[in-house]
Amino acid sequence: MAKVKIGISVNGKCYELDVEFYETLLNVLRNKLGLTGTKFGCGKGECGACTVNINGEAILSCLTLAVQADGKEILTIEGLQNGTKLHPLQEAFVKHSAIQCGYCTPGVIMAAKALLDCDPKPSEETVRKALANNLCRCTGYDKPVKAILEAAKTMRGKHEK
Amino acid sequence: MKSELSVVGKSVTRFDAFDKVTGKAKYGIDLKMDNMLYAKLLRSPYPHAKAVKIDTTKAESHPRVRAVVTINEAPKVIGAVAMLMTEEGMKSLDMFDNVVRFIGDPVAAVAAEDEESAEEALSLIDVEYKQLPPVFDPLEALKETAPKIHKSGNIAFNVLKEFGNVDKGFRKADYILENRYTTSKQKHCAIEPFSTCIANYGLDGRLTVYSSSQRPHIIKRYLAGALGLPVNKVRIIKPHTGGAFGGRDYLIHGLEVMCSFLSRKTGRPVRMSFTREEDFEATEARHPFIIELKTGVTKEGILTAMSIKAVMDVGGYGPHAVGVLVNAMNNGIRLYRCPNQRFEGYSVYTNTSLCGAYRAYGNPQINFALESQMDMIAEKLGIDPVELRLKNYRGLGELDPITGDETRSDGMKECLRKASKKFGWNDKRTKRIAEGTKRRGVGMSCLSHNTGGRFSIPDPASAIVMFNTDGSVNLVTAAADDGQGNKTVLAQIAAEELGIGWEQISVSDTDTDVTPLDSGTHGSRQTYAGGIVVKKAAAEAKKALISAASEHLNVKPERLSIKDGVIYDTKNPATSIRVNNILRMLQYEDLSIGKQIIGVATGVAPSWPPIHGANFVEVEVDIETGEVRVVKLACAFDVGKAINPAHVEGQIIGGEATGIGYALTEGLIVKDGKVLNNNFTDYRLLRACDMPEIDAIIVESNEPTGAFGAKGVGEATNAGTAAAIANAIYDAVGVRVKELPITQERILKELHSLK
Repeated sequence: MAKVKIGISVNGKCYELDVEFYETLLNVLRNKLGLTGTKFGCGKGECGACTVNINGEAILSCLTLAVQADGKEILTIEGLQNGTKLHPLQEAFVKHSAIQCGYCTPGVIMAAKALLDCDPKPSEETVRKALANNLCRCTGYDKPVKAILEAAKTMRGKHEK
Repeated sequence: MKSELSVVGKSVTRFDAFDKVTGKAKYGIDLKMDNMLYAKLLRSPYPHAKAVKIDTTKAESHPRVRAVVTINEAPKVIGAVAMLMTEEGMKSLDMFDNVVRFIGDPVAAVAAEDEESAEEALSLIDVEYKQLPPVFDPLEALKETAPKIHKSGNIAFNVLKEFGNVDKGFRKADYILENRYTTSKQKHCAIEPFSTCIANYGLDGRLTVYSSSQRPHIIKRYLAGALGLPVNKVRIIKPHTGGAFGGRDYLIHGLEVMCSFLSRKTGRPVRMSFTREEDFEATEARHPFIIELKTGVTKEGILTAMSIKAVMDVGGYGPHAVGVLVNAMNNGIRLYRCPNQRFEGYSVYTNTSLCGAYRAYGNPQINFALESQMDMIAEKLGIDPVELRLKNYRGLGELDPITGDETRSDGMKECLRKASKKFGWNDKRTKRIAEGTKRRGVGMSCLSHNTGGRFSIPDPASAIVMFNTDGSVNLVTAAADDGQGNKTVLAQIAAEELGIGWEQISVSDTDTDVTPLDSGTHGSRQTYAGGIVVKKAAAEAKKALISAASEHLNVKPERLSIKDGVIYDTKNPATSIRVNNILRMLQYEDLSIGKQIIGVATGVAPSWPPIHGANFVEVEVDIETGEVRVVKLACAFDVGKAINPAHVEGQIIGGEATGIGYALTEGLIVKDGKVLNNNFTDYRLLRACDMPEIDAIIVESNEPTGAFGAKGVGEATNAGTAAAIANAIYDAVGVRVKELPITQERILKELHSLK
């Protein structure tokens, strides 16, 4: 079957790609664009390690076909920092030691990014619900949740200034 | 002592934090090499069969296939690290045969130009199987008439130990309790599936393997043996690891060996990755136990005798058939001072997926039985469960009856006191909260867990501390970091010893060509065993530096001291030299010297000090649905000294999460040898919204043999959770479930039988 031509923006950079109609966005990101920060955990949308933002929404890239992303703006963990400056979420994860093996971290941070973009002042319960898609076997979620709440505060502070 | 420490005891930023939050950290699954081939495994569809004929002709003629390897060529490495102790043991690490022993057992491997072709070629391999009668139940497997899974029979290992006189001890008891407990086959569920290795065999006869193993040096030895290579010809490089928890303790069944054989056959780098389903179905899991526990106790609550009979299901192969059973015995016997104890244990093969090392290594199983039983005793005698533990646990100065090891640090009392206070034990125990169909209850457990493997397995550790010209340091260690953060912790220990900042230290990646011998990351040992050698190596380096300065300043070394980057004469501080100046002089300035200041240490830790811990849990049980919600958990762990408190808290809360899963939801469901829940929908891990409020308390008892008083932490944190939850459920609804996981169905069944 013929390949499909798509145009996507990833971390602010535009790509024209020929993809198989059955190819997942996760595969495109990891294997075609070399953006391995987005992780494979299950391939079935059950673990959240592959979470990216598409047009500002937290999306599981293993369940998203590349063709579905055509014309859309994708943000991955690699695009979150501003030059050498970390995003407040990344800063908070570093500060709170909210990382152990770090394999779920990109997905967790991207889920949190989408949450904070639409709800700048979430309660702890809202944060925990927003992470319901993301499995972590190391941290017990405690430090990541604290980091997200602190990042929200930092980001609010910036907007208010 | 506390005020003198400047780096130890601080929650400094972990070295890998930046790479991990920016997506830069490379895990095994992210690695690629030029000209790389992709490999896939053909797995057995039968639980027990002989692969009489494996015809690979068609697969080999696939245009994109480059090599096929079968179990007739490549051995199954079923080694335990203790086998390295003898020549005989080393020879028998490898197993060659054409029998498959569980559904998913590898039969052959294909390397092709791309993953899809490798997958396609698997279906072109013709295997003629002769099915053999399977046995799935360990008790069935113990019977004389059971089909034999291995030539030696179905008992992989057995042990019988008695201390004191158990029969006499039971005669002295006022009460005797006897119960049977069973535990589940919990899966590690590291979010990076247990897989992905790249093997690269060069025509110079050198094999380089990128593997996330917890024990790079041990698997280097195993792979050298399997391929018949001199040990120096094998190099293991460890990338970032997406969770291990014991599951990457040795080789992954079928992964590194097959990959290496394919690379040798093709002369090209070969990469193999498992799917999540393969991870669930065919990599190691926690051993299910059947435990018969008999306890004798006086009416004052003093244990007089304890008899434990354990049957441990190891699955089709038993890489940890000895280790886990012995560790269950060690931790089971060490916890309580009972003078008369017997442990009888059997590791039994079944035609199910293999079991192996898993965080706390036999302790969660035995602790569930011990601590459920202690709760029943406390109720029977009308003693506070905390009081009962305090009366019986083995404390300071007491000897482990098995090894003779002395308990030199004891934080149990403090753990019990602090956690119970934080939890509000006395208050909550007396209150009965019921609302609609919901009933609240509280329970507790305690535990001890040995740090490292000092008395049971070869357990070497090594470190090299190298000074740079500016006074900064490179620390070289094979202390594999699986995400616990031990590299950062070891840097803190070195920095403290050297009197420099932690950020002045860089820690090597793990590469067996460079990093000296270390038995790996297991048994919560790196802060303890790794810490001891790192501290020694740093002390050696410091000594060498002082000695060089002594020569230069013409002042006796014992009069010299280092402070703020200056070496000075304590009797005449004007006589001094800056550390960076002497280092530059030694390395580059004086052309007749040209040397680096290096400190080296290697050796085993002197003990395996027990980490103590206590868990207090409040649950809410719905009597209509059987659903259990953990409302609150307060726990305390005696880690000797928390080198990095934030890391310790992370270990505690993460471990407790795994412990709650073990208690309530987790376990592979295996029917006729087939894993039915091979995904995260049917196998339920706790999610962020399922977590209770957790109070994690650090207790520091200062272990005299450890670096700055440190013991370990990681494994202890999920060893006692299940019993505390089971006890809380009993307190809430009067139902005593002795089977893990304590599912809604099991609670409902018990509730109905109460009626």
